[in-house]
This record gives sequence, C-alpha cells and structure tokens, in this order.
Amino acid sequence: MLDNLLLGFQTAMTWENLVWCLVGVLLGTVIGLLPGLGSTTGVAVLLPLTFTFEPVTALIMLAGIYYGAQYGGTITSVLIATPGEAASVVTTLDGYQMAKQGRAGAALAIAAIGSFIAAIISLALLMGLAPPLAGLALEFGPAENLAIMILGLVIVVSFQGGAFVRGALMAAAGLLLATVGIAAGSGEARFTFGNVDLLSGIPFVEVMIGLFALGEVFHQIRMGAEKPIRARFKDMVIRPREVAKSMPSILRGSGIGFFLGMLPGAGSTLASFISYGIERRVSRNRDNFGKGAIEGVASPESANNAAANANFVPTLALGIPGGATTAVLLGAFTIYGLQPGPLLFEQQPDLVWGLLVSFFVGNVLLLVLNLPLAPVFAQMLRIPYGYLYPLIILTSCIGAYSVSNNMFSVWVVLIFGVIGFVLKELDLPIAPLVLGLVLGPLFEKALVQTSAVGDGSLAVLFTRPIALGILVCAAALIAVPRITGALLKGRKENQKESVTQ
Amino acid sequence: MKSSKILAASLAGVAALSLAACSETSASGGSFRAANTTMVVPFAAGGGSDVSGRTVAQGLEAATGVNITAENREGGNGAVGYSYFLGQQGNGNTLLAAETSLLTLPIAQDVEFDYTSFTPIMKLGDDYTLMVVRADSPYTTCDQVVEAARTERVVAAVSGAVSLDEVVFSLVEQDQGVEFDRVPYESGGEVVAGLLGEQVDIASLNPSEVVGQLESGDMRALCAFSEERYAYEELADIPTAGEQGINVAFAQFRGFIAPGGIPEDATTFWIDAAEDFAESEEYKAYIEDNYMQPNVAYGDEFADYLGTASTELEAVFAK
Repeated sequence: MLDNLLLGFQTAMTWENLVWCLVGVLLGTVIGLLPGLGSTTGVAVLLPLTFTFEPVTALIMLAGIYYGAQYGGTITSVLIATPGEAASVVTTLDGYQMAKQGRAGAALAIAAIGSFIAAIISLALLMGLAPPLAGLALEFGPAENLAIMILGLVIVVSFQGGAFVRGALMAAAGLLLATVGIAAGSGEARFTFGNVDLLSGIPFVEVMIGLFALGEVFHQIRMGAEKPIRARFKDMVIRPREVAKSMPSILRGSGIGFFLGMLPGAGSTLASFISYGIERRVSRNRDNFGKGAIEGVASPESANNAAANANFVPTLALGIPGGATTAVLLGAFTIYGLQPGPLLFEQQPDLVWGLLVSFFVGNVLLLVLNLPLAPVFAQMLRIPYGYLYPLIILTSCIGAYSVSNNMFSVWVVLIFGVIGFVLKELDLPIAPLVLGLVLGPLFEKALVQTSAVGDGSLAVLFTRPIALGILVCAAALIAVPRITGALLKGRKENQKESVTQ
Repeated sequence: MKSSKILAASLAGVAALSLAACSETSASGGSFRAANTTMVVPFAAGGGSDVSGRTVAQGLEAATGVNITAENREGGNGAVGYSYFLGQQGNGNTLLAAETSLLTLPIAQDVEFDYTSFTPIMKLGDDYTLMVVRADSPYTTCDQVVEAARTERVVAAVSGAVSLDEVVFSLVEQDQGVEFDRVPYESGGEVVAGLLGEQVDIASLNPSEVVGQLESGDMRALCAFSEERYAYEELADIPTAGEQGINVAFAQFRGFIAPGGIPEDATTFWIDAAEDFAESEEYKAYIEDNYMQPNVAYGDEFADYLGTASTELEAVFAK
C-alpha cells in the first residue's frame, strides 16, 4: 500500500503531470460553469488533444476536467439559480437563497470545502478498498436499483415538508415527461409523433436550463425591477463557525455520495438529491432548509463530488463504467492501448496510483483556486439586472445549442422557460420535476429488467434482502412522519382536554 | 508496448497532416472540394462506435489534411443519428460511423432510412462475439447451454432490442429450436456488470468488452460465434460455435458511410482517403486493440456486403 502510494506520488508529481492536472481542473471548472456543457461532452471533445500524451498524463488531465466540472457546476447554481450540471440542481434550493441574502461567497466557499473533504474521504476509500467495494456494488442488480430509485423519489417528494402532494405531483409530471422517446427494453417509440428529435426523449439538460435559468429570469422580471443584491465583503467570506456547523452534513453527504456513486448507474444526481433530502430531516438546522441554510449547500455538493470519485470504483476495479463520463474515460483507455479490467491495478500500478494521487493533487488545486475566487465570483451579482438578464438568456440559448448543435434544444429551453415561470407563479416545486425526468428512464429500465429477471414478476423486489431493506426505508419515510404527527396531535388534544377539565 | 506504438503512429499522423495540408488541392479535384468535415457518431461518447468514429476521423484527417471532427448524436438505438444523417443528403462533408444498427433499425423499427439511403465508403472490419459466463457457471461449452435451455430457464443479457447480441441469440434459438429469456441492458459495460452480479446466466459480447475479465479469470468464454477460431493469441483456444454443433457465425461490421446523393468525385475522394487510412499504423492498432478482423471493403463492394447482411438479418427478425 505504502509502496503504491509512493509510486503514485512519483508519477503524479512530475512537472508535466502537475501542469496538465492544473490545466484539466481549470478547463473542468469552466466547462462545469457553462450551462449545457457538461463533463461528459467536455472530456469527449478534448480527448483527441491528448492522443500524443503519455497515457497517464492524458488520463490525469481528462479526470481533472471531470472533477473540476463538479466544482464549476456549483457556481452558476448559487449565483443565478442555473445548475451547470444535473448534480447541482439541488444546490440551487439553498445556494440561491443564500446569494439573495448576499451570502453567495460563503455558499461557494462551503461548496468548495465540502467537495474537497468529500474528495479526500472517497479517495481514501477508493485507494484502500476499490476491489472489495466493486464486488459489493455488483450485488446491486436491477431489483436493488429499482428500490433505490423508489427511495430517491420518496425522499424528493417529501422535500417540501408539508407540501407532499405538490412534490408528488411534480415528480409524477417528471416521470411522465420521461416516457417520451424509445422505450427501455422493447425499443418502441412513444409519444414522438414522428419527430426524430424526440426519439431520444425530452432532453433534461435543456429542460433544466429552461426551468431554472429562464424561469427565474421571467419570474424576476414579473416581480419588477429588484435592486441588485447588496453584497458586503464581510458577508462574502465564510466564517469558521459555519464550516464547523456544516461538518456533519459534509460527512453524511460524502458517505451517501460515495455509496451511490460506486453503483454503476445510480450516479451523482441521485446522490445529491438523496443526501439533501436526508439532511432536511436530520440536520439541526432543518427548519431553515430552503431559506438559505448553509448545510443545504454543503450536503449535496459533498455528495456529488464523492459520487464522482466513487464512479471510479467499478471503472478501475472492474473495467465497467460507473457513469457517462467514466465511460468516455474507459474508451480513452483503449485508445491509449491500455486494457481496462480487473487486472488493471496489478498490470498498470504506476498508471492507477498516479491517477489516484493526481485526484488528490487536483482537489487541493481546486480548493486553493475556489476559496479565494468565491467572493470574486460573487461580485458578479453586483451587475444590475438590466445587464445580467440578457446575459443569462443569451448564455442559456448558446449553452442549449451547444449540447447537440441543434435548434430543437433551444426551443426546449424556451418552452420550459415559460413552464418554469408558470410553476413559480403557482408555487409548485421544480426540483422534483427534474429528478423525475432524470430518474424516469433509469427507473423504467430497472423496472423492465427486474421483471425480466423475475420472469415477469416483480416479487424479486421482496425476496432479495437488500432491495427489501431499501423499500422498508422508503415506506418508513412516508409513514413515520404521519404516524408521529397523528400521535403528537392526539397528545395535544389530550392536553387540551385535561386543561379544560 | 502498445502505447508507444500509438504515440509513434500519432506523431506520424501529425507529420502526414502537415504534409497533406500543403498538397490539399491536388488531393481533391473535380467539382467536390473537401472542407471541414463532421463525423457523426450515432451513439454516446465512450462506446465502441465512438472509439471507431474518432479513430477513423483521426486517420482520415492524416490521410487528407481535411479537418474532421467527431460529433455524437445519440438516442433511439442509433435512430437519431441516422435520421439526422438522412437530412444531410448531397453533403459530401459529413460522414457517419456506422455499424450493424444501420441494417437492424430499418428492419425492426419504424425509421425512414435503410442502407440504400446512404453512400457506403469503407467497411473497417468485422467484430465477432463470444458467449461468456461467470467463472463459477456450471456450463463449459455452448452446447451445454443449449441443452440446458431445452429443460430449464436460461437467462441471457442483451444490450439492446436491435443489438448484435440480440441477433446472435436469435440465430442460436432458430438454429437449435430453443428459447432464452432476455434481460435488456443498454451497453456492453452494463451487461458485464449484470453477468458478474449473477443477474443473468449468459451473455454474448465482443472480445474487447470482456478480454480483461477473461484474463483475470472472472469470466470464461464458451465459444466464439465466428466461422474460424481467432488468430489472436489470447483468444485462439476458444472453440467456434460450429465446432460444438451450433451453426451460428455472425459478425458486426464497423465502417463509415457518406450521405446519399453526393457527387461522384466526393465518393472517390473518401474512398481514396479510406484506402490510405487502411495502410496506416493507426488502423492496424485499432483493429488489434479491439480484437477485430481486418476485412475491409470499399464503395460498391461494401454496398454488396450490406445487401447480403440485410437479407440475413431480415430472416432473424421475421420470426
């Protein structure tokens, strides 16, 4: 283990690799920052530039783009309520509220600190336990994945506390939108009305840009000319007390993120939603969630970064991609003439350990870059809305177009911008809609696969212990608050009666 | 090592690129002028089609000096990319990285194109599949699997409704009169996870997708669905399905096509470029790294192959 670490440092700390690691994380931050351009596209586009590199240098840079994008995606979520990546959607809930209160700098700082701590924890797990953890991840088949999706939906639906019905309504709408396109399993086209662009479904990145960025702009315009957010420098810098207060959320987020990230398929979006949902229930500061609680930023940001790192568990230990971006990286392995698979750790120790140590280096670089830059980025909000709004609309449309070089994407953004505005007017929560849309295809795939594994029956959900356990948790999440609520109500009434007696 | 070979090849490519850039005008000619070209990849970044599309784009760039960028237009098992390509009729500056879904989609799904809608340029080679099981599986040969399927439930993983493994399992079913249950996945990587996680009993995957697992001993290959045994050292011991009494051999082709209705000199231009690419170290490395067969075909010859394969596939999906 120590030998391997030493080997890793020797590989990662060469001048060349350090420089390319820095280039990677910088590019990643920018890519994450731009709405529409995600890490998957970023890595795929920049891949050809690395063909002349040594394989390890190339992978260090490409991986840097990947986790750099996790940091960058947060910035726009907080500042203008526009998530750069799906995994940063939940961050808007409290991050944007903090920005409105002039505390954008603190939100960005805690996101960077949380992401960094999550990265270190997940890196330690990845280095020490990747092969056994990968074996554990394989235990999660379709039935277990289906159970996790159900748990995720239940958690998100109960985001808004009392407004359970509103959340359920929006999650269901998201699932419904997700049925457009080619059906999982059978390959039939559904609700496409002969439109080729709809074959791949309603694209969620564009939907997200529309709902959040444009929806918010329209909403603000409707509200009338609000003054730019007043941001005093004192409020921009994070206080040590706030970091300490957020630690439990960061640690829980890291754990949840790592666990969900190492399962092939579930991914960092679900991790960020679930950890936020759990934090909403267990955090000491839970009453302030949705109103600008710093824990509400710390938790999902730690979770999505831990998940991004955990994606490398199946990728490096089994040669099975953990998510879309790691799939591109695995493709890169073959281009460099490397054979991904269970023997990679043995056959290419310098490459694997060099890469892992570079994650550490890259995350240190990101923390060093992001902490001082947080107040600087936050200054952007001083721009008067008259200039900021056209800028947001423009970057949204360009971002959407860049996703697939297609005007269809721009129309989706505009249509969902209007929908987002209407939803805000009606005070309906948007986050469950996005998660419904993101989870829809995964949910359906797991459903079809579970029924295929069970020879047409879903009974396997209840005979496999892990799946059953997760389902019980989901049921408890719905039932327990209601039961305790009813009990409390009953007790209060008893007290009232005894008082009147 | 392979990596240094590729590095050398890339350097050679860069050199060729700068040379070719000087002589660009002489390479083209006639009414067609090659300009910045898009290589459409109808599948997501990271998959086999993506790797093949990007390798070809690089190779053609080196051969012609024309700037070629790969662009993923994924969705609908490839239908989105091909349908987009259909709209590029007559544009000699777009290409598409094609594989067997070019033939299976028109047969199995309601799409507006078939292989005759496009101009075939180059077939890069063939990629067979291996039937694989977990190391602890009771089966040691493919005919044992077939015998088991006669009396009990054997669950096969397939990576899509119109994918290569679906074709191969259907061919085995038709040849042997048995039936496998299917669990649908969406990529070779997911199938590997499903097989290792004991969700399914058998899978049929390209060697490049499983060679790591075979080498580590986590999986075993029972037979190859090819006419002859593999020449690659790592795979030479795997018997063919034919040796075990199952008359099934089917290869996925990989290649690239241009839109229909492009000028004749555009077709000639790309075929010439493809012939240069086939001579390159990059091409050899691509074929060897992916354990493919270098069965190339250009233009009309490629079109003939597509015709024959399409007829064969119609019989598979006609059941």
